[in-house]
Amino acid sequence: MATTELGVPEVEAGGHPRGGLVEWMTTVDHKKIGILYIFTSLAIFLLAGIFALVVRAELARPALGVVSEGGYNELFTMHGTMMIFLFANQVSTGLANYFVPLQIGAADVAFPRLNAMSYWLYLFGSLMVLSGFLTAGGAASAGWTGYPPLSDSQFLQGRGMDLWTMGLAIVGIASIAGALNLVVTIFNSRVPGMTMFRLPLFTWGVLVTQLMILFAFPPLTAALAMLFLDRNFGATFFNPAVGGSPLLWQHVFWFFGHPEVYIVIFPAFGIISEVIPVFARKPIFGYRSMVFAFFAIFSLSFGVWAHHMFTTGQVYLPWFSLMSFLIAVPTGIKVWNWLATMWRGSITFTTSMLYALGFILVFVIGGITGVFVASPPIDFAVNDTYYVVAHFHYVMGMALLFALLAGAFFWFPKMTGRFLSERLGKIGFWTLFVAVNLTFFPMYLLGLRGMPRRIARYQPDLGWNGLNALSTLGSFLVGVALLLFVWNVWRSLRKPRTAPDDPWGGNSLEWVTTSPPPHHNFHQMPQIISGRPAFDLRTGAVRVAPSGEGPFDYRRGQT
Amino acid sequence: MSDDAALLLRVSVFGLVAGTVYWFLSYEPLGTVALLLLGVGPGFAGLFIMWHRRGEDRRTGSLPETLRVFAGLPKEDPPGPRSLESQDVAVLPLPSIWPFAASLGLAVALSGFIFGLWLVILGLGVALYSGWGWIAAVMRENRYGRVQPVDQVAEEPAAGRDETGARRR
Amino acid sequence: MKRAVRQVALIALPLLIAGCAPAAVTTEGRATHDAYNIFLIAAAVVFGVVTIWLLWSVVAYRRRNDELPTQIEGSNKLELLWTAIPLALVLFLFVITVRTQHTVLSDPPSRVTIDVIAFQWSWQFDYEGSDLQVVGGPNNVPEMVVPVGVPIHIKLRSADVVHSFYVPRALFKRQAIPGTTNEFDMNFQRVGLYHGQCAQFCGLSHADMLFRVKVVSQDQFDRFLTSGRGGAPTGGGT
Repeated sequence: MATTELGVPEVEAGGHPRGGLVEWMTTVDHKKIGILYIFTSLAIFLLAGIFALVVRAELARPALGVVSEGGYNELFTMHGTMMIFLFANQVSTGLANYFVPLQIGAADVAFPRLNAMSYWLYLFGSLMVLSGFLTAGGAASAGWTGYPPLSDSQFLQGRGMDLWTMGLAIVGIASIAGALNLVVTIFNSRVPGMTMFRLPLFTWGVLVTQLMILFAFPPLTAALAMLFLDRNFGATFFNPAVGGSPLLWQHVFWFFGHPEVYIVIFPAFGIISEVIPVFARKPIFGYRSMVFAFFAIFSLSFGVWAHHMFTTGQVYLPWFSLMSFLIAVPTGIKVWNWLATMWRGSITFTTSMLYALGFILVFVIGGITGVFVASPPIDFAVNDTYYVVAHFHYVMGMALLFALLAGAFFWFPKMTGRFLSERLGKIGFWTLFVAVNLTFFPMYLLGLRGMPRRIARYQPDLGWNGLNALSTLGSFLVGVALLLFVWNVWRSLRKPRTAPDDPWGGNSLEWVTTSPPPHHNFHQMPQIISGRPAFDLRTGAVRVAPSGEGPFDYRRGQT
Repeated sequence: MSDDAALLLRVSVFGLVAGTVYWFLSYEPLGTVALLLLGVGPGFAGLFIMWHRRGEDRRTGSLPETLRVFAGLPKEDPPGPRSLESQDVAVLPLPSIWPFAASLGLAVALSGFIFGLWLVILGLGVALYSGWGWIAAVMRENRYGRVQPVDQVAEEPAAGRDETGARRR
Repeated sequence: MKRAVRQVALIALPLLIAGCAPAAVTTEGRATHDAYNIFLIAAAVVFGVVTIWLLWSVVAYRRRNDELPTQIEGSNKLELLWTAIPLALVLFLFVITVRTQHTVLSDPPSRVTIDVIAFQWSWQFDYEGSDLQVVGGPNNVPEMVVPVGVPIHIKLRSADVVHSFYVPRALFKRQAIPGTTNEFDMNFQRVGLYHGQCAQFCGLSHADMLFRVKVVSQDQFDRFLTSGRGGAPTGGGT
């Protein structure tokens, strides 16, 4: 039997399949898995976006009747479900998969095969959720929050709800496994010299996100299991007629649901903390504060869930209100630090940086309106109206999207060796910035004027007509801007590989290796003496260890 | 003692202690018996493994070392292929179909709760088969090492595509 | 700089104009509205600070040469400052909240109690102390007639799924949860007809689950109670 350089017998070495579908089906490489996550979630994003456009088309006029009532309910339910569970969580997982091992100097995650399994479970779970559209009763239609008794079998028959429940449970299992994987990776696979407080903030953001997933997703899985049992096996967890409680679902769901929104946004915070220092040519201001802020928000986020339930009249208002107010403080700290990073910097306005700046503006607007609804009396007025829809679209739809696009323009060269067109990118940025504000700002006003959520029709004499029309106009412009981005990606993938290792003057370890990285991530590794290893390499503070020296020798057997 | 015996004995001690405490707190027979059985079952298995493996390694026979293992404290010299220890090399698994197959099996099995028991059985079959393949791969790697030599990893991409899978001109 | 000012105005003015909610018609709603205005001022200040800081940096610190700016890593003093000030602000807003909540959720003695039953997809209003019952249906928006100026006590229940009793001009809503009864008070200060709608997604015709609150003088209300007139037809089909 042939042996490798290390004298261990070589089994299957070099014999693995190459090319096409089989390569992607059998890959355990975190970079390929990351790309799988990103492309799958992008496809789901575009589909969910089309659903949103149909919803907005329906709402452009008081009673258009573009879709049937039941169809409309399926559309907004699936839009929310897909955007939150199948896009937002997952595209961040994809970026985390790709970049966390690179940023910590590892060759892969701790459990590469489990990593692959997480992706496939995500894919199959998503297909299961979507397959509801193919059933006789249609897809799930109880809102992405699925409140019983409506979501229970006596009110919504048909397999769509069951497929939704089971599919989301499967995706949840994938997330939990992925979370475990990334946490172990970040703790155990760091290259020597990379202490915890030298980790890039994207990696910190991912770490805290995964810890939150570990605590938040099991309750969701439990809730979904209870709903499934109620629907199919005669359980009565949520059936008040026989001693169950619909409120139980709300508590368990929102115990997951609130940390979930921070799970969605933390990777975005991480991306912004990577992009701004690079394009302002200064280190992130208040690195340790940023880390502590992550943990402060993490802890508080598990104590605020019932602010989604103020209008039930059944929860202890003062505690949840106070905690919800307090959580604004560490979130604000992050914003102040980003601004301070730019202050007295030397700023280049690449597309990535423009998106990061746009992020700050829209996130602050969305975050401020979150403080409004932390107050129960105000919440009594605006909960379940378009005010809340505007609030969460500002933070999740706009801020998250901007951060992801900032990350896309930043990291595309690293992942593919090519640049996205800056010209198209800037046109896209301004189009998108105007479009999203046009779409979602009117919704604040609609909510204040009394328009509830999840309705297909409204009375024409309530003063909601003009604002709805404006919002619909904006939404189609959003579609145009996003198509522009997709075209930018498509075009750029066909260009020749011209991107150097470090096109932007980056700080973290991924910029030390080639664009794209080799299979085993690094041909060489500099000494790590600070939180900015690429910066240190560039300024000559450290040098690369030649082959055969140093703590790690990537040429001799490490893949 | 070995790690598996230690694990079983920990569960066993827990069961015995919890069962005893539970009895004096509640005088409820069913729970007490359940906890004591939890103590007896794994305890029997753990003791059997210890007896079966007696004399395997003189060093771990001493009382401090036994207690150390029982408490789960790490050994002084972690085992591993001698060559890998000196090289401080990370090891990665080779590409594998088992994650895909196991996921498919699990998803199909769970969908069976919606569409019918036959799917549960089918999916479970696929999942179990994948589990077997996966564990076999892990065992093989533990025995033989799983290093993928740099030189032998085909860095040239398949014809017509580059490393990201995008079509090259 | 002009561009910066224009951009601030573009963002800030609509925000301020937009933020104002229509005037509330209940005492509870007015307390809420007052709280909302205070929040709005605080929000405008914070947003203004962020925007001005951002735009100033964008203008003043564009890259002009290859010189690396001073690589400052942080300032504990600043961290303390921008932790303490926002903390004080949110605690202030919390105090405002508690005081407003006290008014909104007060439990005054009331002479008018109405049992509201939400069902798919309309409402039923039962006036306690009389046989009067108003039931809505598919083409029949039920009207809840109430006297002006006195606290109305509402006991809210649901016959099937979770609904929500929402009167926009009262700046108030409460969920109707099957298996629970929610009780609250509303004190309408102005005579008029106010739109109401279910605000918790409840199935196919959720969008049509409308109602109206008709606030009338005490005399008219007394007449309504005895004769059943002045409101929607009673005993209407479901």
